[in-house]
Amino acid sequence: MSPRSKAAQGGALLSRRNFALGATAATLAACAREPEGAYVNVYSARHYDSDKRLYEAFEQSTGIAVRVLPANAEQILERLRAEGDATEADLIVAADAGNLWRLQDAGLLQPAMSASLEAAVPARLREPQGHWWGFSKRARVIAYNKGAVHEQEVASMDDLTRPRFRGKLAVRSSSNTYNLSLLASRIERLGAENARRWAAGVRANFARDPQGADTDQIKAVAAGEAHAAIVNHYYLLRMAQSEDPAERAAAEKVALKFPDQAGAGTHINISGAGIATHARRREAALQLLEYLVSDEAQTLLAPLNSEFPIRTSIQPAPALAALGLFKEEEISLDALGRRQAEAAAIFERVGWR
Amino acid sequence: MRPDLALTESGRQAHAPLAPFALLAAALCAAPALAVVLFSLGQSEEAFAAGALLRDGALGTLALVVVGGGGALLLGAIAAWLVSFCSFPGRAAFEWLLVLPLAAPSYVLAYSYASLTWAGGPLPVPIEGFWGAAFVYAIGLYPYVFLAMRAGFAARHTSAFEAARSLGVSTSQLFWRVGLPLARPALVAGGALAAMEIAADYGAAHHFGLTTLSTAIFRAWYSHGAPVSALRIAAVLLLLALAFLLAERRARGRARFDAARWRTLSLLELSPSARAAAFGFCALLLLLGAVLPLAWLARLALLHTNVENLAAPLLNTILLAGVGALATLSISLLIAAAARRDNRARFALFVAGVGYAAPGAVIAFGALMVFGAARNAGLVGGLGAGLALMALLWTYVARFTAAGVQPIEAGLAQAPANLDAAAATLGANPWRRLAEIDLPIATPSLAAAALILFVEIVKELPATLILRPLNFDTLAVKAHAYASDERLLEAAAPALLIFAAGLAPLLILSRGISRAVR
Repeated sequence: MSPRSKAAQGGALLSRRNFALGATAATLAACAREPEGAYVNVYSARHYDSDKRLYEAFEQSTGIAVRVLPANAEQILERLRAEGDATEADLIVAADAGNLWRLQDAGLLQPAMSASLEAAVPARLREPQGHWWGFSKRARVIAYNKGAVHEQEVASMDDLTRPRFRGKLAVRSSSNTYNLSLLASRIERLGAENARRWAAGVRANFARDPQGADTDQIKAVAAGEAHAAIVNHYYLLRMAQSEDPAERAAAEKVALKFPDQAGAGTHINISGAGIATHARRREAALQLLEYLVSDEAQTLLAPLNSEFPIRTSIQPAPALAALGLFKEEEISLDALGRRQAEAAAIFERVGWR
Repeated sequence: MRPDLALTESGRQAHAPLAPFALLAAALCAAPALAVVLFSLGQSEEAFAAGALLRDGALGTLALVVVGGGGALLLGAIAAWLVSFCSFPGRAAFEWLLVLPLAAPSYVLAYSYASLTWAGGPLPVPIEGFWGAAFVYAIGLYPYVFLAMRAGFAARHTSAFEAARSLGVSTSQLFWRVGLPLARPALVAGGALAAMEIAADYGAAHHFGLTTLSTAIFRAWYSHGAPVSALRIAAVLLLLALAFLLAERRARGRARFDAARWRTLSLLELSPSARAAAFGFCALLLLLGAVLPLAWLARLALLHTNVENLAAPLLNTILLAGVGALATLSISLLIAAAARRDNRARFALFVAGVGYAAPGAVIAFGALMVFGAARNAGLVGGLGAGLALMALLWTYVARFTAAGVQPIEAGLAQAPANLDAAAATLGANPWRRLAEIDLPIATPSLAAAALILFVEIVKELPATLILRPLNFDTLAVKAHAYASDERLLEAAAPALLIFAAGLAPLLILSRGISRAVR
């Protein structure tokens, strides 16, 4: 056999292999099937079943199917960046204004404005040019052990730096966006030096090195390992409704305090959405965005969600309503994004890992 | 033309064609990692100085490798010694059961232990922080050492043991003075694998709140908004991984396999108390590495009544892992077969290993960067659904080819070299020899490689999360979504299914090895 024909045979084998690979890939691609009618694609960093119900309701009332790619906010960002103008994404949903700002900063969101959006969402809970809009609200609060702490001892976030809490605080890692946004809001209101002193004070009171997520901090408080923790409000509500009796028992021992009611108000954040820069179905995306903040969706979401509706006119879930009304920190949430890197640098400097 | 000249000529030519393809395939495997290194050399205008984070990350990773990896080494070596050489109750079952922890990804073990051992939980022992992570790595990764050591013990001259025994060496001395030195290459190889897994792990390190190179990458990228610094940390991680890889390859280079002298060694009889201790040790490993964390997950899964239908994610997982394993397997076979014939292609073995030691997310980002660069150069359009899927398969290939090459190499090594030479003399081209000699000989090890790859891809999370198509969830993606939302009850069922999907292949594999060793 001549070398040439050998090579040809080798080539044939190789291309057969390639063909097989290509064919299997095509089979896989076919599995993620195209819907037949109108549809809109959502990249979402919220993995709640309540959102699925919202999408279903949207589909029923408009006939537009919603297809979802759930992933982490960071990963959605990288994927959008790589996809460029070939992306299938129309609407991006993420929790925390910090994450939404990062998407905006990378040029991955486009401005969207409409009368109904502006009427539905308070000005400070959206990006001024309409790159993203909040549709659900959460508070970062203090969870404390009812047996060990008086409510007045945690009236303010500043109280957590007092010697009274030496070795008694549980907080998650500073790489978490919730903590970055919390410190960013302080930098915005009171300046970097105040923020640094506060972070160093909290750091000095750690019961243990930060580990686990918010629920783990609440468990540490319940077990008496710590007396207080900084957490998002809904984690305790969720524990109280858990199917795990051990979690319910732990939740019994812990109460929430919405801090700084006498001062600047409690730090709040949002879940929000924005339209992708290269959205191919911009109209449908805008329609879905408007639906998310509409009375209908907000009323549907409220009892399913442990978060607050975006407007105070909508009644929250009973467990939330029981917490009562509270004063919110008055800053424009797009500041949280702008101050993220600064906040990260401060955390790094004071040794809050 | 003189006949002997023609022979050498055709022999040499017949060797040549595989090597370039193997090198090309290896380059394909290394490309995402190289892209990361290349981009890390770019200009940085970032205000963030990564020095302190890099230092802390490197120290953190090294400490975990030393303590967690050292633990895995010790546990795996002792277990392999016991089941290979000592007679005690349950030995035959432990021989294949002890690999089970490999089916559970480190992040699943970490979540399960966290919910089991918190201060108010059912088992309030502090498995937290650095020591918690080291414990999870040691207990989850010892099977790598166990597997390598068992193969190592089996391939040794049994006569060395018999000679030592006839000279009256005691049982413990037999381990320290004969068994350990003989199996040292296997020990290093298994240890290096465990070290690479630890360096590449993100989920468990993040859960325990540790600063490692893996977690530092993401902290620089997302908290500090400094992608170039993140890439530089990733480049350091890749260098470290390369060092582990080098150690592993050198160790295996030194291990000579001498199949002709195999004989089954009679097992050592132990005293009753030693028998009990041996049983207790193996049972404890199995309990901590698999039974306890999984039983706890099962309990959580049962508590959760409103179970969603996991049929689609399960099907997706099996489909994706099947296709990914086949793609990776063909590349692995090509490289292993080429390396056997041609020393130049041995370099491909090394190059292909780079991706294995890197975190999946880094490789996925690397693949995305290559696509981004290709788009900027006008070579491809943006990354649509089809390309994303290709990128995902590419990431699997880049990440796991090394894991596939290893068993295939060992399988091919059993084929007498003169068989290949004879076929070459008769004019069979390398592709034909690959198909008609290597393939049949390596079939059992190919099956083993396919199973390993399948399990690895079932467990893989970050790349799958970034690159999968819309409306296409896998079990790992589901488990992660719930766990990252702090809903462990809901995460328990998909996590258990990940374990179950990896269980069957592992058991088949492990029993196969047991039979081959006996």
